[in-house]
Amino acid sequence: MSPVVALILAIGFGVPIAVIGGALGQGRAAGSALEGIARQPEAAGKIQTAMIIGLALIESLVIYALLISLILLFMGVPSAEKLLQAVSKVK
Amino acid sequence: MDMLSGLAHGAAFIGSNASGLRIAQANPLEHPTWLRFLTTFNYEIGKRVFEHKGPLPGWIPEMVPVTWFVILVLCLTVIIAGRKLRLRNPGHFQLALEFIVTTLEGFVRNIVGDREAKVITPIIGTTFIFILCCSLIGIVPGFISPTSNTNTTVALALMAFFFVQYMAISRLGFLTYAKHFLGEPIWLAPLMLPLHIVGELARPLSLSIRLFGNIFGEETVVGVLILIVTVILGNVLIPLQFPMVLFAVFGALVQSLVFSMLVSIYIAVALAGHEEHQ
Repeated sequence: MSPVVALILAIGFGVPIAVIGGALGQGRAAGSALEGIARQPEAAGKIQTAMIIGLALIESLVIYALLISLILLFMGVPSAEKLLQAVSKVK
Repeated sequence: MDMLSGLAHGAAFIGSNASGLRIAQANPLEHPTWLRFLTTFNYEIGKRVFEHKGPLPGWIPEMVPVTWFVILVLCLTVIIAGRKLRLRNPGHFQLALEFIVTTLEGFVRNIVGDREAKVITPIIGTTFIFILCCSLIGIVPGFISPTSNTNTTVALALMAFFFVQYMAISRLGFLTYAKHFLGEPIWLAPLMLPLHIVGELARPLSLSIRLFGNIFGEETVVGVLILIVTVILGNVLIPLQFPMVLFAVFGALVQSLVFSMLVSIYIAVALAGHEEHQ
């Protein structure tokens, strides 16, 4: 497998794997918040605030994976191709 | 017209060899805006290449004039609305703006507390409105979101970071604030000091990356859906991207809310942690 293909596989699989974890966590957070609101409707405002912050913090982890994928896509792939060209010239 | 050239740009990106990319084109779906005449660029008519000379040099991305446009619109709105303020029988415009300000102040007051709310509300509220408008203007055809570029979000996050530091130092004093970095048992300070500093520095990073990632992701999804329709169906135009545009409105609202909420929570934590220690 050439390094470019490996990089593209990493880019393609990296974000979905991060999304699985993030989705599980966000689902649990939202579900617990809804249970709390159903049990205590008068605390809905505070629970919503805390839930949105929690969701944002979970989401930012997924976005780190997206960022790494973007960095690999826009910097890793061209440099890997340059590396391959250099290696083939040496041969 | 600009949508077409944006599509051509995107199609060239997808069809092109990856090595042909330049890092400057970080956003493959970045298309020209209405404010392009302000920048310097080359264009072709037939086979001849012309250079358009604008007041701005060519290396400035087009999101900078778009940001200025947002600032101009916001300033003009507020200046025009602020000219005819009336205590009795206020107009609709004034009532709407008062509603926005009151809501933002209540939002900050809930998190920070009554004492500092008057100082913090102008900055947090302005940040909220600015981020919201910057994210929403990307939905208007012929504009791009300034927040889908890392430069804008890093600037905003750095401003928020320095504002939090300023609030903490001015309210607590430098020594008390520095003592907070050392941690509670003083002999653990060599371990806790780097931890606290890294934790403090990770905040603007995560703030900027979160905002950038969300807005950029939404814009890219909308652009790719437009691209899919035009590539597969040709001239049959179906608004496949419409649900994602609606979702982008929601996402812009949530992300600006999260940004301003997190900044006010950082301030609240920095100020409240001190009172518990005393």
